[in-house]
Amino acid sequence: MIGLALRRTVRGLATLVGVAAVVFLLMNAAPGDPASLSLGRQAGRGAASPGAVAAFRAEYGLDRPLPARFAAWLRRAALLDFGRSLQDGRPVRERIGETLPATVALNVSGLALGLLIALPVGIVAARRRGGLFDRASGLALDLLFASPPFVIGLALLLLFAVRFRLFPVLGGVDEGPAGFVLPVLALALGAAAPAARVVRSILVEAFGSSAAAAGRARGDDAAAEVARAMHRSGAQLAALVATLLPVTVAGSVLVERLFSVRGTGALLAEAVFSRDTPTVLGLTLLAAGVVVAGSIVSDLAAAALDPRLAGGARTVTGPEAAR
Amino acid sequence: MSPRLAGRLVAALVASALLGCGRHAEKGSGTIVRRLEGEPKTLNALLATGDPDLTVLALVSRNLLDYDSSLTLVPGLAESVLPDASHRSFTVTLAPDAMWEDGARVTADDVVFTLETLVDPKTPAVNRRGLFEGFEKAEKLDDRTARVTFRTASSTRLDAFSLPLLPAARYRGTAIGSNPLNRAPLSNGPYRLARWTAGSSLELERNPRASGPRGAADRFVFRVVPESAVAFEALRTGAVDEARLTQPQYAEVDREKGDVRAVLWNDLSYTYIGWNNRLPLFESAAVRRALTQLIDREGISRALYGGLARPANGPLPPGLWPYDPALEPIAFDPAAAAAALDEAGFRRGTGGVRQKGAARFAFALSLGGGSDVLRQIAETVQQAFRVAGIEMTLRPMEWAAFSSAVDDGSFEACFLAMSLDPNPDLFPNWHSSQSPPNGWNSVFYRNARVDALIEQLRGTFDRQEARPLYAEIQRLIRDDEPVTFLHCVPVKWGLNRRIQGAATSPIGLSLFWPGAASWRTVRSKSPV
Repeated sequence: MIGLALRRTVRGLATLVGVAAVVFLLMNAAPGDPASLSLGRQAGRGAASPGAVAAFRAEYGLDRPLPARFAAWLRRAALLDFGRSLQDGRPVRERIGETLPATVALNVSGLALGLLIALPVGIVAARRRGGLFDRASGLALDLLFASPPFVIGLALLLLFAVRFRLFPVLGGVDEGPAGFVLPVLALALGAAAPAARVVRSILVEAFGSSAAAAGRARGDDAAAEVARAMHRSGAQLAALVATLLPVTVAGSVLVERLFSVRGTGALLAEAVFSRDTPTVLGLTLLAAGVVVAGSIVSDLAAAALDPRLAGGARTVTGPEAAR
Repeated sequence: MSPRLAGRLVAALVASALLGCGRHAEKGSGTIVRRLEGEPKTLNALLATGDPDLTVLALVSRNLLDYDSSLTLVPGLAESVLPDASHRSFTVTLAPDAMWEDGARVTADDVVFTLETLVDPKTPAVNRRGLFEGFEKAEKLDDRTARVTFRTASSTRLDAFSLPLLPAARYRGTAIGSNPLNRAPLSNGPYRLARWTAGSSLELERNPRASGPRGAADRFVFRVVPESAVAFEALRTGAVDEARLTQPQYAEVDREKGDVRAVLWNDLSYTYIGWNNRLPLFESAAVRRALTQLIDREGISRALYGGLARPANGPLPPGLWPYDPALEPIAFDPAAAAAALDEAGFRRGTGGVRQKGAARFAFALSLGGGSDVLRQIAETVQQAFRVAGIEMTLRPMEWAAFSSAVDDGSFEACFLAMSLDPNPDLFPNWHSSQSPPNGWNSVFYRNARVDALIEQLRGTFDRQEARPLYAEIQRLIRDDEPVTFLHCVPVKWGLNRRIQGAATSPIGLSLFWPGAASWRTVRSKSPV
């Protein structure tokens, strides 16, 4: 187990450095000068004076060669110092800190609520395979699966905020908890659809196994059968969470924008368009870190639940598992 | 999840929603909730460039001289700014009651410090520096009086004094770009910053030390709402009191006659297609005029702007004082255009595309940003050109890349909007010396007579004398058609009917004096 943890951690760190390097190169290869953009370029109205641009470049080290800049950034990033934003000169860590709570609240709540919806739906559908509930929930889940969280959010917004006025149109901290209900629901429904399908598939397989047949022969009731099936499928369910995490985080970028919740998604979009490389790198590293950490935790959890996986076998999730 | 747990979860969500809605309603009728498209980058009045920055600062930071709604300069922090006979030296006399919110007087030290900071090459004061070209020095004469001297005279100099001030005592010796006051400005205007919730909202309250008339509303809350469609729904449900409208939204508001009223005004901008005049395809004025004749601007206005946009006739929009309303825009006339193109040697060749010798009439139109209307216009023009034997491909570009291409002049044709100052100096955009990399004449326009007139205008201080010079420039540029002047598109805004006292000006709803400081609420209708 320790060996697996070490292997996965080393691989995870290499992944983070690789992601950061690629993003750094892409940001610097993109057209548009970050200095003049950050100083307020207006097409057809010119940009800041050459003196101001030169001073800005020197201040932020943009006049240094790329490898030196990346190495310096990497050294600081190891200490969780992501540098200063090119947009307003504030530490990237501070800017991320302002937006991260909203994003974490949205994503954790969305994912948790999504699983709370997906598990019972998946279990009941698997128990009553081919029945009315299975068919109806399958149709509803397919519809949700085909709709990006942004579209789901738009529908919720028009229905519950505009039509019935039950929730505020604008989300975010200014509205209190109410400001998070619809965006969380949008993310939850987006996550619940694939999760419920996977849960159903996993459990259908578990219910059809010889172990399940043996349990039934021993006189297990329905609850016990579900509990045993869940336990046997623990590794796959843990991996499912790891798969859903990046999908939910990606979906939250547009949901944040739709509900005017200023989270890291909005910050990232702004940073990309203004070529604010330190902020983009900080956010990318954060997102990649969360995904890598989620993947490591999921692998370790799976290994703990099924010791055969500690040797390097991998869990199967998503469409593969659904088959 | 048990049904009981699910029931509790739903109950908690609904309760939190109702509590949240209640909280919002407590903001009260004296509070006006405004929409910002994004969060301000800075509230340093000298460095501010974006609409969110300027919209907030308009209530927090007054200028030495302010524009009123008719674009006349009126006293602000200065009771007067007077030129000497040479128009090179200006005496700034501060208003006796001009004060910072911390109780310190606004002094000539602030004037001198602000100007010296502004002209420092390291200061990225993009919006302001151009007006101080030729600045020589600023001197303090006494606490309330400063003298500002320029090396040359210019007819647009007085407009430079529509200038905010920085408190010298707080900024001197600090890095201007990262001073903490950039996010917590010291007010000298009718309102002061009460709270800035990062990423979400800003709240302004009345500044008790403001000079002049006090703000009419108790408070302003600025909500950051990036999505236009969401802002519109927020406006209709009362969550915000004002928001810019798109054409369909304007039509809907106008039709509904509900709690929101539509406001319309002409600003100081126009849209245009810039032709790169140094390329062989576009070097002939006759060809450029023909391109304009192929575009049905009235038809586009009817289809996309509800008939509200009018064809632009030249380099000045109607809201500006020297605008010449008698100048006819080049008319839509495809037959005349075809004849002109034939005469210029561009005859239909293989595949119906015009060519002159080996050169086909084919080029790319660069587009920045992602406006649907802009794209629809481009596609309409593309279709009209195709019929006329001209192959125009559309090249959508990300904004940063597009801006670079425009400012470098590295494009074939580009679609842009031009926004002008209240007292425009045509030199940076139309003088031949200002082609890239020297200035903003990105289309490389050259006309010796226009150059001479622009130079003459800079030394003409009497507007009556200047008017015919401007008229001649407008006519010459219209005839040369270095760009196709497309439309002057009115700005459309929605205001909740509970807001009274809102006036418009060519520079917007609030970027003039008193602007939003005169807004008040007339009936208690709390936002939902």
